[in-house]
Amino acid sequence: MVEQLLKATGETFYMVFFSGFLSLLFGLPLGVLLYITSRSEGKKKIYFVLDTLVNIFRSIPFIILVLLLIPLTKVLIGTIIGSNAAIFNLTIAAIPFMARLAENSFNTLPSGIIDSARSLGTTNWQFISKVLIPETLPDQISNFSVMLINLVTYTAIAGAVGAGGLGQLAINYGYYRFQWDVVLYCVIILVLISQLIQFAGKKISTNLRK
Amino acid sequence: MNIVSVENLNLTYEEKGNKNHILKDISFEVEKGEILGIVGLSGAGKTSLLRTLNLLHKPDNGKIIFEQEDITKLNEKTVIPIRKKIGVVFQHFNLFRNKNVYNNIAFPLLLEKIDKEEIKKRVEKIADEIGLTERLNAYPSQLSGGEQQRVGIARSIITNPDLILLDEPTSALDPMITKIILDLVLDISIKRGLTIITVTHDMDVVKRICDKVAYLKKGTLSFFGETHEFFASLTTKEVSEFENEFLTDFEKIKKRESDEKKFIRVVFWGANTHESVIWDTAKDMDINVNILYGKIEELKKGPFGSLILEISGKQSMNFIKNLKEKVYYLEVI
Repeated sequence: MVEQLLKATGETFYMVFFSGFLSLLFGLPLGVLLYITSRSEGKKKIYFVLDTLVNIFRSIPFIILVLLLIPLTKVLIGTIIGSNAAIFNLTIAAIPFMARLAENSFNTLPSGIIDSARSLGTTNWQFISKVLIPETLPDQISNFSVMLINLVTYTAIAGAVGAGGLGQLAINYGYYRFQWDVVLYCVIILVLISQLIQFAGKKISTNLRK
Repeated sequence: MNIVSVENLNLTYEEKGNKNHILKDISFEVEKGEILGIVGLSGAGKTSLLRTLNLLHKPDNGKIIFEQEDITKLNEKTVIPIRKKIGVVFQHFNLFRNKNVYNNIAFPLLLEKIDKEEIKKRVEKIADEIGLTERLNAYPSQLSGGEQQRVGIARSIITNPDLILLDEPTSALDPMITKIILDLVLDISIKRGLTIITVTHDMDVVKRICDKVAYLKKGTLSFFGETHEFFASLTTKEVSEFENEFLTDFEKIKKRESDEKKFIRVVFWGANTHESVIWDTAKDMDINVNILYGKIEELKKGPFGSLILEISGKQSMNFIKNLKEKVYYLEVI
């Protein structure tokens, strides 16, 4: 039992880690793109398209998204079950979420700071890399931890369709075989993981806030 | 030589379908090394005017010639080299919150490909000049308002700009710190031969540092010229709009009004400010002169005095006529 719990915990970590990394890698730039296009005259159409896409992907329930993505998953990953297929699904679901959180934080950047940066002659790229991201970094860390916790929940849902991890263990042993103690252990571990992420995120974010 | 000339500048804002005409046909020029004060009541368009000068606002039409180039033709990308030559200091400092003082001051240099050692040397030199050496590792949230504004000033001059724009640089500071910051600005402008354009509603700022004044009234330029001419040109009503102390005194004065009494405001400028012009004029006349309000102030280019007198007696009109010839400006209130 312990062995199975450990293995499932490892799988959950594996999925959360890689999908988290990939979501950040694509979600943050998408957030920047949303922020920049929403603020520049002449790019409002691009913003409208991106904004609508983000809304659509965020509206689809995760379990439905997984089903909709089956053909694409099959082509790209080669299989629709297991952790790697789940990472693909999780990433697709989390990118728009991360992007929206990032955009919201960018929007809190005071207009005075933007004036400052423009007056000093920053290019668009310098503005993003030297002002926009550094100035909102503590918030972005909090956003990232919120997204990771969301991913923990999603992995459990993905477990229902064969992703592995704690979610699948809880469903297979607990729900189908009425071993409620297994469900309890799985839930406890999931709560602990979430707590850990929340704690670390808050700690880092507070340390970065000057 | 003119460093900036503004020609027939117009600026409108679109707000809920309504066009607001913020700046109407503004023209003036600033010579190298001068300090110009843009003054006016709230909503007159002072800050909007300042923001058009480095194209934070794009004017609808008109020209802004900066060092022989019309910058209104530039876009957000091509204006970058111009912005690097114009330092800006803001009312609320607008420092980068997550960078320490060192990195805030160094920021304009970090945008260029400049050697780290060179940057360090220049930041330390400026910090020394402005009195921030002890605070280089602090973050903006740990600084007082005065210190934050010093950082703002240091950041604006580190690239050796040709022009500095100050947007109400002292209105978030207390009077004592205001004086220190103004002395600092004056000192820097003299040492570096900097041209400065400052927006302010504080007449003390104008008196202390400005060579010239641009006075905005509801978006139009109602006065442009030397500082002492500006103060002399203000009507009594306008003076009371700008100066609290004067307003209180003036309201008391108005209560004393009656038919036999006349009230006049007299302005002195330059050499004769300290002469006893009034007593010399009144000496042989059958009148009573009563001083109700009086002040002599040191403007940047010399002493400037203003008085409100209450006059009664048969020869009042004669006295006013004679006095008018001897003073810089006289107005019967």
